[in-house]
Amino acid sequence: MSTLQPTLELRGIKKTFGHVSALKGVDLAAYSGEVLAIVGDNGAGKSSLIRTISGVYRPDEGAILVEGEQQAFSNPAAARAAGIATVFQDLALIEVLDVATNMFIGQYPRRGPFVRRKAMEREARAFLDELGVSVASVRTEIGMLSGGQRQIVAIARAMRTGGQVVLLDEPTAALGVRETAQAADMIRTLRERGNAVIVVSHDMSLVFELADSIQVMRLGEVAGVRRRTDTTRDEIIGLITGAITGDRLTA
Amino acid sequence: MKNIVRRIAGAQQLGIILIIVVLLVVAQAANPQALMPSNIVEILRSSALYFIGASAATLVLVGGGLDLSIGSVFAVGGVAAGIAMNAGVPWPLAILLALVVCGMLGLINASLITWVGVPPFIATLGMLFAASGIVIVVTGGTPRFGFPAAFTDLGQLNLFGIPLLVFYAVIIGVLAHVVLAHTVFGYNIRAFGGSAPAARANGIRAAQMNVSLYVISAVVAGLCGVLLAARVATADPGAGGTGFAFQVLAAVIIGGTSLFGGVGTIAGTALGALLFAVINNTLALTNTNPQWQNVATGVILVTAVAVDHLRRKRRFAVRSA
Repeated sequence: MSTLQPTLELRGIKKTFGHVSALKGVDLAAYSGEVLAIVGDNGAGKSSLIRTISGVYRPDEGAILVEGEQQAFSNPAAARAAGIATVFQDLALIEVLDVATNMFIGQYPRRGPFVRRKAMEREARAFLDELGVSVASVRTEIGMLSGGQRQIVAIARAMRTGGQVVLLDEPTAALGVRETAQAADMIRTLRERGNAVIVVSHDMSLVFELADSIQVMRLGEVAGVRRRTDTTRDEIIGLITGAITGDRLTA
Repeated sequence: MKNIVRRIAGAQQLGIILIIVVLLVVAQAANPQALMPSNIVEILRSSALYFIGASAATLVLVGGGLDLSIGSVFAVGGVAAGIAMNAGVPWPLAILLALVVCGMLGLINASLITWVGVPPFIATLGMLFAASGIVIVVTGGTPRFGFPAAFTDLGQLNLFGIPLLVFYAVIIGVLAHVVLAHTVFGYNIRAFGGSAPAARANGIRAAQMNVSLYVISAVVAGLCGVLLAARVATADPGAGGTGFAFQVLAAVIIGGTSLFGGVGTIAGTALGALLFAVINNTLALTNTNPQWQNVATGVILVTAVAVDHLRRKRRFAVRSA
């Protein structure tokens, strides 16, 4: 795997807010057809890292490379255009608008200044069917869906945008057991499609069920990166809490 | 067919339609002139300017904004065109000039809201005061008149027995409807009003959105002022004002547009504007004290919002929790 070029690579990312260092030189490599889990305690820098990758923050130092090409994102639209689709923790869905509109927001099928409503609904329907997920009608307003269904729409939107990199921030935080399983299935589908998937999660069962590798963040630095098959929960938790000393060199 | 019946019965504005019908029936019972074509035309004419202003205000409210300054920008439009024409500027150019001045005021609103972070209520309330003051200072409080006939014709002539004002209202209304319901810009307005952070996360630019909305709002308010000046052949510095602003906002909200953004239609706004004209007209035809209009406006406004809120609460059980 180390001979392959990462789909997304971060090198030495630094970000400070006033005198607080949120990220102190973070490296990251995400590969096509793999799930990279990012874990860490509160304040470890996971959110800052996600926001940097998705273009919400601009790093003070360091490089972001997509398919080996250096990128600079001034806003989330630029990150998306570079092939990074983000499913934010708050999902960034609009409750008063319907499923189809939410799936195409900011990227509507258009003819001149007009939205091609029928084409949009048809494509949304076809896409959800292909994923095998159940949402009653693409005309349903998001506000009428359950938390799990909203998560599914948000993930479907990220998949639809066709980014090589899909970033999910706490995808199962608000979900029940059945919905969590459904979200996990969608993440597997993403991997099978050859996306580089990055999942930030507190849920250790989910992480060990899905991840190919696990990157542990601690106090704004990378405490370690492990292949799931080569590690144990105890080691990961030790790295998170600092009970096991971090090894920056493996990152 | 069943579908159409269901759509009508489920329409958000059914209540308003019923009130309008009841008022017309009452008016007809009291005065057989009520349903004569001439009276219907009068109802349409008297609601035309409010509807034009309300079309733009619908876009602003659906986009999650609020523009109170339309009241005084209205006066700025009429007075600016009047001053220009008095100074010998040809009337088409005078109108253009007035709309540009109003557009600049909208740009100031948008800048304060977008880049300084002043809440829309405060920014546009400030503009409401400031612009009305400037109009009075510039004119010395005296109206302008003596406009070319070609200009006053714009507001006074009829076509096929229907005032040109009504045609303008229909054209602008259709345009606003198409923009809001079918264009990428309209989808973005609804997304931005539905949730500004979510819209931004999906690449919709807040600055672009605010500038577009507040400039459109100001230009349309100015246009209403110009049209009134044409209709009454006078540019009155006291025209418009809070009366116009609040009447327009009431029409928009009664028409089902949410004060919290994201939801609203031009068709609903048309009914809201029509309702006010019908209330006025019915009061006049039944020889009732016209002050009842304000009472009716207040009661209907609060009822409309309350009913909408209750329906929403039932529908979005998850959301209101």
